[in-house]
Amino acid sequence: MEPISSSVRLKYVKLGYSYLVNHFLSLISIPLMAAATVEILRLGPVEILAVLRSLHLDMIQVLCSCFLVIFVATVYFVSKPRPIYLVNYSLFKAQPVFRVPFSTFMEHSKLNLRDNPKSVEFQMRILERSGLGEETCLPPAIHYIPPNPTMEAARSEAQMVIFSAIDDLLDKTGIKPKDIDILVVNCSLFSPTPSLSAMVVNKYKMRSNIRSFNLSGMGCSASPISVDLARDLLQVHPNSYALVISTEIITPNYYQGKERAMLLPNCLFRMGCAAILLTNKKKEKKRAKYQLLHVVRTHKGADDKAYRCVFQEEDPEGKIGISLSKDLMAIAGEALKSNITTIGPLVLPASEQLLFLFSFLGRKFFNPKWKPYIPDFKQAFEHFCIHAGGRAVIDELQKNLQLSHEHVEPSRMTLHKFGNTSSSSLWYELAYIEAKGNMKKGDRVWQIAFGSGFKCNSAVWKCNRTIKDQRDGPWTECIDRYPVHIPEVNKL
Amino acid sequence: MWLTSVSSQTYEANGIHSNDSDEKNEALIYGKRLSSVGPARVTGDLMYEPSNMDLAMKLHYLRVVYLFEVEAMEVLTMPRFKEAIFEWLCYYYESCGRLRREDTHGRPYIKCNDCGIRFVEVKSSKTLQEWLQLGDHSLQHRLLVPDHVVGPELAFSPLVFIQMTALKCGGLAVGLSWAHILGDAFSVAEFMNLCGQFLKGLEATYPANLNKSPPNNAHKPSKPSSTLGSGPLSLKQVSPVGDHWTFPTPCDMATFSFHVTATQLAQLSTKTGPFAALSAAVWRAIAKVRCGPEPNTITVVTRGVANGKAEDSLLRNNQVVSSVEAHFHVATAHIDDLAMLIHNEAQDERAQIEEVVGQNPGGSDFIIYGSNPTFVDIGGADFYGFEVKGMKPRLVNCFVDGIGGGGVVLVLPSPKSGDHEVDDNNGKIGDEGRIVTLILPKVYMEELKKELKEEWSLIA
Repeated sequence: MEPISSSVRLKYVKLGYSYLVNHFLSLISIPLMAAATVEILRLGPVEILAVLRSLHLDMIQVLCSCFLVIFVATVYFVSKPRPIYLVNYSLFKAQPVFRVPFSTFMEHSKLNLRDNPKSVEFQMRILERSGLGEETCLPPAIHYIPPNPTMEAARSEAQMVIFSAIDDLLDKTGIKPKDIDILVVNCSLFSPTPSLSAMVVNKYKMRSNIRSFNLSGMGCSASPISVDLARDLLQVHPNSYALVISTEIITPNYYQGKERAMLLPNCLFRMGCAAILLTNKKKEKKRAKYQLLHVVRTHKGADDKAYRCVFQEEDPEGKIGISLSKDLMAIAGEALKSNITTIGPLVLPASEQLLFLFSFLGRKFFNPKWKPYIPDFKQAFEHFCIHAGGRAVIDELQKNLQLSHEHVEPSRMTLHKFGNTSSSSLWYELAYIEAKGNMKKGDRVWQIAFGSGFKCNSAVWKCNRTIKDQRDGPWTECIDRYPVHIPEVNKL
Repeated sequence: MWLTSVSSQTYEANGIHSNDSDEKNEALIYGKRLSSVGPARVTGDLMYEPSNMDLAMKLHYLRVVYLFEVEAMEVLTMPRFKEAIFEWLCYYYESCGRLRREDTHGRPYIKCNDCGIRFVEVKSSKTLQEWLQLGDHSLQHRLLVPDHVVGPELAFSPLVFIQMTALKCGGLAVGLSWAHILGDAFSVAEFMNLCGQFLKGLEATYPANLNKSPPNNAHKPSKPSSTLGSGPLSLKQVSPVGDHWTFPTPCDMATFSFHVTATQLAQLSTKTGPFAALSAAVWRAIAKVRCGPEPNTITVVTRGVANGKAEDSLLRNNQVVSSVEAHFHVATAHIDDLAMLIHNEAQDERAQIEEVVGQNPGGSDFIIYGSNPTFVDIGGADFYGFEVKGMKPRLVNCFVDGIGGGGVVLVLPSPKSGDHEVDDNNGKIGDEGRIVTLILPKVYMEELKKELKEEWSLIA
């Protein structure tokens, strides 16, 4: 009983401490205001007037003070960034015809890698431990034996996923394509000419003065980057809508060789797309789902090892694939630490920041052997959307941030149902939380994505209105089956 | 750029027949693409345990070819076809599984792991008419339907292949290659007919996935079989094939199909149904032209009944396998006598077959088709019920692979005109004729054709 009661005691101590520090100002000001009120009441109105007259204020001073106040207020309001709202977002839901059960994947793999049984064996082991389910989807070209990745097939996959998400979004929000002022598309590995953003402009007949951007090569962490870009543009352009598309096109990037380091993405990457509508229009505040609070981007590319850890290159046979280095998890951990260090002061309550400061000072000046204090991010956020890059990534982050199973459930379930959909995975996870009915007004969400570079990017959102009864979305049909238990090893 | 040619794409060339005559055949079909199709929903952890009768048929493969007119392809795109197939296969998830062997006796069973059936897309440079007019029917057999076999790795061998051939005129050929372990020809017809329903836009309702295994030992005899110790005549044990379920036919076979009109059937024999009459005619002809001893024993395969209402829509090997022995000279017998013999004196050997197979289900391998000349009555199968967008097939043909040297004669329904039901061979001959497909040793095929032509005017 001893350890339990002591940990319970510690918990209450911590709770009391955090309440004290976080509400310090109000705790101080209440007695002060009480004292002031008592004093004023004691003095009486006549006495107060006498005090004021004795200050010898004349007009100039009064006017100057007023102007000063007005000036400061104006500067404050003008330089305050416009609030950015997320009106709504839509996700691509693949039809069952693109489904790839484990057994089919392994059989095709065996046929395609006929002469390399060791590589097939490797893929089987990866798949068993991957955390993926039996309903993840690959694009039509990859279903062929051998896969048939032509440019035409890649374009048709892009059209299918992107247009389906945008159609759904326009339908949900009632916005016309001609109302869209800013368009940002991010797709890392497929970058045709004309760009995917041009493809969208063409299909939806958008305005000729649209500000369109196409971000390619930026990896799985590109979604917060796109959101960041859209936000900056919305600061400059008042009264606008920004459409952000995050996707990854699988067709041209299916590795057809036998190098093991490059076979891993084949096992994990699946089709997905998210279309997000952002705006700075005040009238949308009422129906917007979220407000964007922060975007924090961390780039570790200056370090050579980090730069090369996710690297697209040719294998000895000349086949192009993405090679993942063995240091990936360590580098991801480093990138996460950097990101946390920047985001911490922005989101953590004062109590956690003080503790972190004390621990930091202590380690620097007193004893370097003290364990570094990991701030409790659960006090800053209600929900976590960790990029479903793979089971190892989610496990690592759960350990590092000391998150519970409920906190990482959206990420694990997204990995199970949809696989690694690259940059759009954060949005599938958000949709899971909404579909479960857990998103209440005022809840804060932290989206963390990792990607080649090596980058760690975060976006922080605050829920603007309680989201109930999601009738649409990719989770609608199956949410009642979730959460599922995902075994450590799924024997095939 | 992915360049394809039929001979270089030897993926899954586990077929029985070699590709050496492919130079001229390459012109007939090209552009082969393989993929897999499976159930749209996750089946879950289910097993399908074949019965002893199923295991007796495991070395045989049914190859069915459906030929559709122009306009079939116009209304059907490949993605749309595949969508319908995924919904359809939710009902037949056992056909999408893969074989495994039990640990104890090595008895094969199917793990329903949604691996899928193999889907082959090809194009043809010939029109439907040209295909129908081809003299060599074995080309239909070889090119329009995949010649797959199960093995050499059981766990990675599809049980079913479907081939879609886009014909030059816009018509469509659908070739189904079916491992006989799953079910008989009547099951195949129902299997494909449901596919047609889904193509029409049937809305699927998904009942819970149940165990669809056949009740084992359904025909278990209550006492040891009463026939002589020699065992069933229709069943022949072959040397063990292990996990590669292919039986190399001992001699070269030729394939020939011909249509028999109702009038011609009437001229043959009016005492029994069309099947017995046709079988008698061919049996007599074989006895006349074949060198060596007369085939006194034949195997007759006819439609069986399901074991109860619940079993009606399931895939089963319910066919009745019987032996017919003639104790007189077949080559000179009267056709009516032979027909009566076939109709009345067929000895149902299913119980014996199941008993023999059950003794060593994991180790012994058998054949039924072709152990003796085998006559298969699938005239009552509703092959023409497989509709693509409301259109019935122009022609349906059925072949069997993995057969013995005795050969196989299949009696199929002829294309329906109107909505007449095709009668079974019990009694009345309907309005329809029949299609007869002969798969017999090449050595006497030409003579046999001549004999049938001269004796009965069956072949034009």
